[in-house]
Amino acid sequence: MEPILKLRNLKVVFPTNYGVIRAVESVDLDIGDRECVALVGESGCGKSVTSQSVMRLIESPPALTQVDAIEFNGRDIKDYTPKQMQELRGKEMSMIFQDAMTSLNPVMTVGNQIDEMYMRHQGDSKKEAREKTVKALELIGLPEPRTRANSFPHQLSGGMRQRVLLAMAFACMPKLIIADEPTTALDVTIQAQVLKTLRGMQRGCGTSLLLVTHDLSVVASIADTVYVMYSGKIVEKAPVKDLFNSPQHPYTVGLMAAVPRLTDKKKTFTQIPGTVPHPARKPSGCYFHPRCEYATDKCRKEMPPLMGQGGGREVRCYYPLTAGGNM
Amino acid sequence: MKYTYVIKRILYSLFVFAVVITLNFFIPRIGVDDPAERYYPPQGNMSEIEYEIIKQVTRQQYGFHVSTGQQYMNYLKGLFQGDLGTSFRPGSPAVIDLILERLPWTLVLSVSTMLIGVTIGILFGVLAAVKRGRWQDTMLLNASTIMVALPAFFIALILSFYLGFELEIFPAYTDSTMVSGFTWTWEGIRRVAQNAALPVLSMVVGSIISYAQGTRNAVIAVTNEDFVLTARAKGLKQSTIRYKHILRNSMLPIVTSLGMSISGLIGGQVVIEQVFNWNGMGTLFLEANNSNDYPLMMGIMLLLSGFTIFAILVTDLVYVLLDPRVTVGDKR
Amino acid sequence: MRTKQPMHKRFQRGLVKRIKNTGLFIKRLWSHKQGKVGLILVSFLILVAIFAPIIAPYNPYDVSERTTKGLAPSAKHLLGTTINTGQDIFSMLVYGTRVSLIVGVTSGVCIAFVGSVFGVMAGYLGGFVDTLIMRIVDIMLVIPTLPLVIVLTNVLGRDFWIIILIFVALGWTGLARTIRSLVLVLKNSNYVKAAELAGASRWHVMIRHILPGTSHLVIMSTALSSAGIMVAEAGLSFLGLGDPTAISWGKMLADAQSGGALLFGAWWWILAPGIGIFLAVFSFMRLGIVMEEIANPRMKQTSSVYKIFKSLDGSYIEDVFNSMDDDQKLGIPETARQGGKTHGTHLEA
Repeated sequence: MEPILKLRNLKVVFPTNYGVIRAVESVDLDIGDRECVALVGESGCGKSVTSQSVMRLIESPPALTQVDAIEFNGRDIKDYTPKQMQELRGKEMSMIFQDAMTSLNPVMTVGNQIDEMYMRHQGDSKKEAREKTVKALELIGLPEPRTRANSFPHQLSGGMRQRVLLAMAFACMPKLIIADEPTTALDVTIQAQVLKTLRGMQRGCGTSLLLVTHDLSVVASIADTVYVMYSGKIVEKAPVKDLFNSPQHPYTVGLMAAVPRLTDKKKTFTQIPGTVPHPARKPSGCYFHPRCEYATDKCRKEMPPLMGQGGGREVRCYYPLTAGGNM
Repeated sequence: MKYTYVIKRILYSLFVFAVVITLNFFIPRIGVDDPAERYYPPQGNMSEIEYEIIKQVTRQQYGFHVSTGQQYMNYLKGLFQGDLGTSFRPGSPAVIDLILERLPWTLVLSVSTMLIGVTIGILFGVLAAVKRGRWQDTMLLNASTIMVALPAFFIALILSFYLGFELEIFPAYTDSTMVSGFTWTWEGIRRVAQNAALPVLSMVVGSIISYAQGTRNAVIAVTNEDFVLTARAKGLKQSTIRYKHILRNSMLPIVTSLGMSISGLIGGQVVIEQVFNWNGMGTLFLEANNSNDYPLMMGIMLLLSGFTIFAILVTDLVYVLLDPRVTVGDKR
Repeated sequence: MRTKQPMHKRFQRGLVKRIKNTGLFIKRLWSHKQGKVGLILVSFLILVAIFAPIIAPYNPYDVSERTTKGLAPSAKHLLGTTINTGQDIFSMLVYGTRVSLIVGVTSGVCIAFVGSVFGVMAGYLGGFVDTLIMRIVDIMLVIPTLPLVIVLTNVLGRDFWIIILIFVALGWTGLARTIRSLVLVLKNSNYVKAAELAGASRWHVMIRHILPGTSHLVIMSTALSSAGIMVAEAGLSFLGLGDPTAISWGKMLADAQSGGALLFGAWWWILAPGIGIFLAVFSFMRLGIVMEEIANPRMKQTSSVYKIFKSLDGSYIEDVFNSMDDDQKLGIPETARQGGKTHGTHLEA
């Protein structure tokens, strides 16, 4: 599978008065053609910063970024000028944000906001753009698209707004879509609908998808490959089935144990002890060791590298867990 | 619905105006049983009987011989006919005539201050926001730190002293023939402009900086909003993002602050007119205060408040045009 | 709810806590560069106001010195004398501090009290009380303040305390409005809801839970409205409408103008009271703004980021970046990790 995106050695820091926030530490990411990759982690682990860095939306200041390569569709966009990036964004890669209420301009009609995409990237006139917008809204499953296009964001329901964001992201049939917590702000029932639409659109348009989320149920239902992030580092990478069948990093195990499931009757709902380290004051050695029940002296002193485990799996742990959960 | 909001807003302004009118009626009556005593306070060398006669005459002259309720009704009736009462001045001129005579001169100052202040202020504010953290921004911050602590009348005195008396660039006091000898010729307008230069300058510095600061904060607040990130992720041009998305949304708080600032501007102008002896409503008001000319004072108060109410109403309606979210709820 | 303790013990504990908090607050102000400037200036002004008779070399009310009229600044008369009456300007300046501070701070404190009481009542009780208070606020907003103050002093008299009363009566609206919107937020917060569910009375909730939540705003506004009132007082006395018996900076400016300071080039006569007003207003305003920054650190962040970037140490950041690589055997080197902290303090300086 020829990757559509090859991110190599991404590092992002935010200098502040209280020390340097180490948001992303040397992250590699590969997304194949038409593949859906999920980036999973708790809030503050750097997953949003990673995803925005892919589109080079992180500005300096406030951030400082270092990266070896952002290979997108065969070209390295790391050194693209702002103008070149503008051409690329929206057209070949686009983004869906978490909260559609704040992510849409409150004083513009949603139609106008989607029109902008066509007018900018396909050189359409206002009229042509509106025709395409109505079609896009229809495709995404918005009832009465022509009248809805003239509504302002506050006049739509949460699910409809999220669909508007989807229509906007898919407007120019980009190669890659980054969805940052696309369903978190929604009710569970609406979540499922929006997720279904997203998945359908992704398959239908032949787009690759980078899904950023903390919600493992979303991951299970849609992703092909999963990256687990902890405190700015990738700690585990695996195909989705393997990950759910046999998580190898203690953190991944903890994450899964924290999800209540109907099928498990005996297992109690467990929580990972401790808290995520402050991104400006990370512990020595493996960042997870203060919360890890298997930690040894080695873990306390040295950061384990990301080690290949075969079968496309990688894990950042000296003592990866086997299927049974024993060492 | 939008129309309901507009109508509600207009009705509410009328309600506020009604309350202001009532306050205006009652303020001179605070602390005295008989308004005649306020209008004509007892003098030391006056016998009891003499004063009683004078009060009797005053009551007749100003209509205080009827009940307070009746007086209030008469006051309202007069207002509807554009009658603000009669002044204490010799010849008993109508208050409205005195005011109308001074009104254009006051407007010369306030309108030019407002126009210059708003345009330059907003431009500066946008510049500072765009160049956030660079010298333009720092300069604005430092200027506003200093300016808020300097009263306009002190600036006026310094300007009058330096540019007026020392360098003699502009007249330090308003030329008394500016008003009496005014003609609609270039020469007449030029003289007004010359005389207005220092008063306007002393007010405009502060207003530029306060509008600039407000604009800067509004623009930066909008720049940090999520939808700006969306706009960037859409690959829109920098100029499109700036004008269509950021500036349009920053206008909302700026418009509100414009309405709010008018009352302060009017108050401040009273002092500035005094410094330069400008022939406007401010000096008229102070003259009225010094001679305890209550009808004139209250007439000016009413007019100023009415003007402020109107200005706030206008900015509110503009806000409705700009922001689709406003329906019935209170935006403040 | 907590078990009841003897009244005096609870009071004592509350007092100790309050004093401790105040100390902490002043300490934080002191550690802020601009806060330090504000604190020093304000304490300086307070000292000047208290010890005015000792500091002032002459009696500022003395208008009998006809031989020393219109002197320029000299060692004998630090800021010269007035042209028409021969009063010592430096002494007048020193005494002027008293009026400015007393009017400003008294009104500021009273405004904070009235404003927060009305704001909390409007926000928490809602309904009729809210409507009434907000209608009053709206009406006060449209009446130009200075003309209204002038009319009221005309009707009520120009005594010192009446002027303060008028300032308070007209000045509380802005704070009430701000507090009200904050209270509307607090009202929906979980701890207030919890207290309500536990059966606390409305007064108890208002005083024990809502009011403390607004304290930072109230303290800040005391400083800011004190500064605002000082400007207003100066304007009023400049118009000759302040307390006629007091020496105030505004009145000094008015005297300077009518006494021919402009005409005779006596710039010190204008500058001295102007600087007095500026210092007083500036220091109180600084304090208010710094308090706001301390209470609400996000306000400042945007601009400070640029300062940080200007003072960034390239090689240090390079170290941080290098420490992130996987082949670094030791993970984060001790220097870089600890450095985060020391570097931070270096940036703050």
